[in-house]
Amino acid sequence: MANQNGNMYGLTILSPIIDDPKSKVSHDSALRLYLQNMPRHAYSPFTKVSGTHFCRLVVMDDVVFVGSPAAEEHLKSKYLVFNSNLYGGLDAYLAEMARKIPDVVDDIWSHCVGYPGVADPSAFAAYMKKCQIETTFFFADVNDKTVEQTLRALQMKVEFTAFIERNQGASPAGLLREFAAFWERVRELPLPPAGVKDLAKSHAAIA
Amino acid sequence: MTNINGKAYAMNAVTPMKTWKTPILLAVFFLIGVFKSAQKGLVDLSFIHFARWVVVQNNQFPRLAPEQPEEQLKYDYLLFFSNFNGTWNEYIDAFSAVLSSGLNLIWRWSEKFPGSVPVTAFKRYISLVQFDTDYYYTAYPYATTSDVKAAIRVDDALQEFANRAAGLTPEEFQQSYLQLLVKVQADIGALGPAPMGT
Repeated sequence: MANQNGNMYGLTILSPIIDDPKSKVSHDSALRLYLQNMPRHAYSPFTKVSGTHFCRLVVMDDVVFVGSPAAEEHLKSKYLVFNSNLYGGLDAYLAEMARKIPDVVDDIWSHCVGYPGVADPSAFAAYMKKCQIETTFFFADVNDKTVEQTLRALQMKVEFTAFIERNQGASPAGLLREFAAFWERVRELPLPPAGVKDLAKSHAAIA
Repeated sequence: MTNINGKAYAMNAVTPMKTWKTPILLAVFFLIGVFKSAQKGLVDLSFIHFARWVVVQNNQFPRLAPEQPEEQLKYDYLLFFSNFNGTWNEYIDAFSAVLSSGLNLIWRWSEKFPGSVPVTAFKRYISLVQFDTDYYYTAYPYATTSDVKAAIRVDDALQEFANRAAGLTPEEFQQSYLQLLVKVQADIGALGPAPMGT
């Protein structure tokens, strides 16, 4: 199945946005404004949906006219594109979205046609699957690590680089002692938070 | 700019295709999926975390209520989404220089695709068909995909070393430690700042 690459799943959702001429602010504009103001980085709601490596939300206004002699045509609806590169299976992911960030999901998808809400997680999952488009080809450079494993590995790389620098020229006994202390410390370090823009700053805060 | 989050750039593009060409493109993707060597160029470029192509046939745009007008499209559409490191110009330049035949194989079925070489016409086309991202999240904005792969190698090597090192004398430990450094020397170092520019 092209949605899958190793343990990664490429979710592509196209949700039609409500077109209501009577609303004071169009749904696509309201949605764009909401997304503009949605917290980012370590405060992003997607930090709570643990399988999310990368995701994006895009209001797709129309298709593109590439110039004559191609025909010019237009969409009759605008679509919200939700695109997630996630670890694991789709059902568990949608269930986690409904459980962990219900208010955000409601705020976003309530601008879309036929959205049933997350109060009934199975109705929400069925809705998302109706909006899903099968990914034709999915490339994942690393396809077998969870977000947690990736964050841990990045933390280890930074910590070990610092250890090497600190212990250049150490005696064999000193090196052994320092490594034992280092290994004990790094294994106890809390996981760096997902979404932070600068690992060094989050590290300093942890230390 | 919402297309950028730390070291990652979110690209979205949509191109029209005549419907009779869609089965050909689907066959191309099937073959790329089967023959992993065809993906070597993407892997070797090593600046794409995730990318996907999605063919949306003209009758596949979701219609969820009778009051939602039915799309009446002549073309099928090829959507492309990428999460890459570096600037837009670097990405397009590298794509054009390294993967031109692969890109041509995928996009030649799209209307008015000029080919990926020369790069100036290719950039003009991508600019035309690209649309911007409203919200972009990554769990590790500070890391490129090369950083991630290097970190996984360091982590694996370190775990293996720590298991092996227990019970070694100081001299044996030092010897083993130096071997570890040789093994991971290309993978250690700072993560570095995100690129500036476009």
